[in-house]
Amino acid sequence: MTVVGRPINEVTSLSIAAALELFTALEERRPFKDARLARPARARWPKERGLVLTDREFTIARQILKEIWARLGFLVDVGLEYLTLDRTAGTLSGGEAQRIRLATQIGSGLMGVVYILDEPSIGLHQRDNARLIRTLKRLRDIGNTLIVVEHDEETIRSADHIVDMGPGAGEHGGGVVAAGTLEDVISCPESLTGQFLSGARSIPVPPSRRRGSGKSLRIKGARENNLKGIDVSIPLGTFACVTGVSGSGKSSLISQVLYRALAQALHQARDRAGAYDSIEGLELLDKVIEIDQSPIGRTPRSNPATYTGLFTPIRELFAQVPEARIRGYLPGRFSFNVKGGRCEACEGDGILKIEMQFLPDVYVPCEVCKGRRYNRETLEVRYKGRNIAEVLDMTVEEALGFFEAIPPVKAKLQTLYDVGLGYIHLGQPATTLSGGEAQRVKLSAELSRRATGRTIYILDEPTTGLHFADTGKLLNVLARLADAGNTVVVIEHNLDVIKTADWIIDLGPEGGDAGGEVIGVGTPEQLAENPRSFTGQFLRRVLNERPASVA
Amino acid sequence: MPLDEIFVKGARQHNLKDIDVAIPRDRFVVITGLSGSGKSSLAFDTIYAEGQRRYVESLSAYARQFLGQMDKPDVDYISGLSPAISIDQKGGSHNPRSTVGTVTEIYDYLRLLYARVGRPHCPKCGRLIQQQRAEQIVDSVLELPPGTRIMLLAPLVKGRKGEYHKIFEDIRRAGFVRVRVDGVVHDVNDEIKLDRYKMHTIEVVVDRLVVPRTEDRGLRTEQDDLSPQSSDLSPDVGRIADSVEQALKLGSGTMIVTVADGEERVYSEQFACVVCDISLGEIAPRNFSFNSPHGACPDCTGLGHRLEIDPALVIMNRSLSIAEGAIVPWGRAGVNGNAWYRAILAALARHYGFSTRTPVSELSQRHLDLVLYGTGGERIPFRHESRHGGRVHEFKVQFEGVIPNLERRYRETESEYIRADIERYMATRPCDLQGRPPEA
Repeated sequence: MTVVGRPINEVTSLSIAAALELFTALEERRPFKDARLARPARARWPKERGLVLTDREFTIARQILKEIWARLGFLVDVGLEYLTLDRTAGTLSGGEAQRIRLATQIGSGLMGVVYILDEPSIGLHQRDNARLIRTLKRLRDIGNTLIVVEHDEETIRSADHIVDMGPGAGEHGGGVVAAGTLEDVISCPESLTGQFLSGARSIPVPPSRRRGSGKSLRIKGARENNLKGIDVSIPLGTFACVTGVSGSGKSSLISQVLYRALAQALHQARDRAGAYDSIEGLELLDKVIEIDQSPIGRTPRSNPATYTGLFTPIRELFAQVPEARIRGYLPGRFSFNVKGGRCEACEGDGILKIEMQFLPDVYVPCEVCKGRRYNRETLEVRYKGRNIAEVLDMTVEEALGFFEAIPPVKAKLQTLYDVGLGYIHLGQPATTLSGGEAQRVKLSAELSRRATGRTIYILDEPTTGLHFADTGKLLNVLARLADAGNTVVVIEHNLDVIKTADWIIDLGPEGGDAGGEVIGVGTPEQLAENPRSFTGQFLRRVLNERPASVA
Repeated sequence: MPLDEIFVKGARQHNLKDIDVAIPRDRFVVITGLSGSGKSSLAFDTIYAEGQRRYVESLSAYARQFLGQMDKPDVDYISGLSPAISIDQKGGSHNPRSTVGTVTEIYDYLRLLYARVGRPHCPKCGRLIQQQRAEQIVDSVLELPPGTRIMLLAPLVKGRKGEYHKIFEDIRRAGFVRVRVDGVVHDVNDEIKLDRYKMHTIEVVVDRLVVPRTEDRGLRTEQDDLSPQSSDLSPDVGRIADSVEQALKLGSGTMIVTVADGEERVYSEQFACVVCDISLGEIAPRNFSFNSPHGACPDCTGLGHRLEIDPALVIMNRSLSIAEGAIVPWGRAGVNGNAWYRAILAALARHYGFSTRTPVSELSQRHLDLVLYGTGGERIPFRHESRHGGRVHEFKVQFEGVIPNLERRYRETESEYIRADIERYMATRPCDLQGRPPEA
């Protein structure tokens, strides 16, 4: 079955932008030119391809066309024009899936609703941000309340009302620092956000760029998805950033081709890598590590101490205490996950779940151990006056002072502190960590490992969920990894990250089929001079803008 | 109580410090702050959770058990709250059948569009299929240049073996004079001998005529078309109409018009390809759904890709020989693996003249294909010596090949363990039809 010479699967293989053109042409009853097809069509019915709908067909189709056309329009409005209709929903990034739902909501035309959004700007290039904000405002203008949790500067500046939470994180947070208009927040001296918005604080552009080891990793002929058989060279020992508008092929290149190919070569991974001809320079690397924001564990039994391997030396330490040696306690005694030292009433959870049928489950602290997770005998063993449960309840900051004299423990705590996690508790269940916190726990675990200087780290949008101040901390961590001779490859839209990178690979020029080419490579300064690069245009603005320029 | 703001009093969820927040309604509000400062606790775990909870509370306890469990957020009260919809980044569908088209509902409209205004093409030859009524066929005949000699045929047999004495007899009895057999027109009264083991095509010649000139067409002017009761058509047009109807009746809805210079036009009253003889049936939106058995590709059930044994995973290390265990799923078939596999591979190698001790990378493609895909039904001699008695059995067996063997075991097994084991050698490959409904 065909409509104007096109079977249905050909239409679904179109990008949303091309489909919108097709349906606009159908509505206006003029032939659609194939110039912007996402994939070259195998014209099976060439004679019909230039046709328009007949009067009869048009009468029947008019309503349908209108619906399709409107929906495609909303998708373009939220910056998703590069997706194809047959793209599997599971392969969309979180931000893309969210924007699709946003587009669907605009179509619903409800009013009087409170919409709550979580960082809608994730995965969106600066260029498309304005369109998204327009869409959000439209949702407001039809009579809805929008509450957006966001770190993007442009979005914050566009808001009618800003609530700044803080001042710190975790224990130190939970209060409202400033609330009101943009001016109110900027003029509030306690507000970190205000300081960044006013330019009083900013992430500095590094005075010099790392040159790297002079060697490089070269990917030849990458052809996955929309990549146009490109050759890309990543200088080793630097902090490299891959940029480009959404859908330009950044993730195809880095996650699907580079990461999987490296994982196959270095770790015998079984995932099939995306299409490429060859990768040179593999012998210069010994490890590839991808760090994402997925939770470090989904059970409350995982916590920062267990994840970073901090808990093992602490348990060994407790087993060395004279009291423990007298009693013959081994390190296992101090684990809340195995029988022996844990409280058996709650099996080390510290809380008990009471199922309430159709009412929500109720959690109560274990009455035997009072939430301390260990049995009484174990808790009688103390190191410097504290028992194991009290240690788990310490924040990283406190523990740093407490374990001053124990180098292996101190080193790991120090890295946690350095990535800005001084406030988290050692025993805080992993399920209560935010995405950004989980990511930094992972990074700190990496940092505390013995550096080989031959590791490549791959991060896809690490700034998701990160405030300006957090981004600064993250950049410090990444800089330390690169300083140790490792290579850091980051996919990012955040200009603060891009401007800090040593080397940028900009893909584009557009998303979908109109992307997949290398637009420019070089230092941020070099890219800013590149007239073809959208990223470069924004970069120029940021690099020229010096602190203290109040908006 | 002011209605122009959402007022949150005493929020203590997670790390919130018993805060009061006023959020203006119908405004674009951004909540910002450090990672972990309590933004999500306020937006999602307090405001959204309370909005949801209040709605869910209004339902019966019975209905509530089907919804997610709603904890009451730790807050004194929230005023001015209306129903809340959260658009977060979680909860994306991981169903492989869900696509951008389906979640946006664009695909539903597309299906409807195709079912209602799509033009059918034959799935085999790609020709446009048109359903035509007798009048349309007549009109199309009349569009031929006047004076053209045409013949109206009704197909009776299409490319089938047989002698068809009875058919010729019937034709004669019905009063027809001519019949076209395999493209040659015969007189029915002549004796027509057909080779019963060859394929034949038989069409009755219903009428032979000359396309009338326009002025001879009698009442074919516009005003007369408006008065259908006037049956005073010119004899020529009336005759064409009668003959077309008769031909369609005889040919069960299909008829052929041949023009003197050899052009042939096939017409059909049904949604059927007249050349390939494929009838399409009624077309409904479900035929375009890759999630419905009516539309999905039968090979991949509409997913667009399927799990297949990947030769690269079966033979991971090409520098090993078969005897050294190059064929991973069959283990070290040459050393201590399954005796049957070892023996059959040895027999295969002996028969086709290669060695199981040669590294796989040095085997010829033909030999490798034999190992992977089998002998294609050819039986090879096989010697089996029983372990103890030294008795020797000799017989011939087919070798199905490593990959068909795995595929068959994957299909037939009921053991989760075996299935998971074989999946280790499988990779998803795009299906040739790309999730496209076969007749679409």
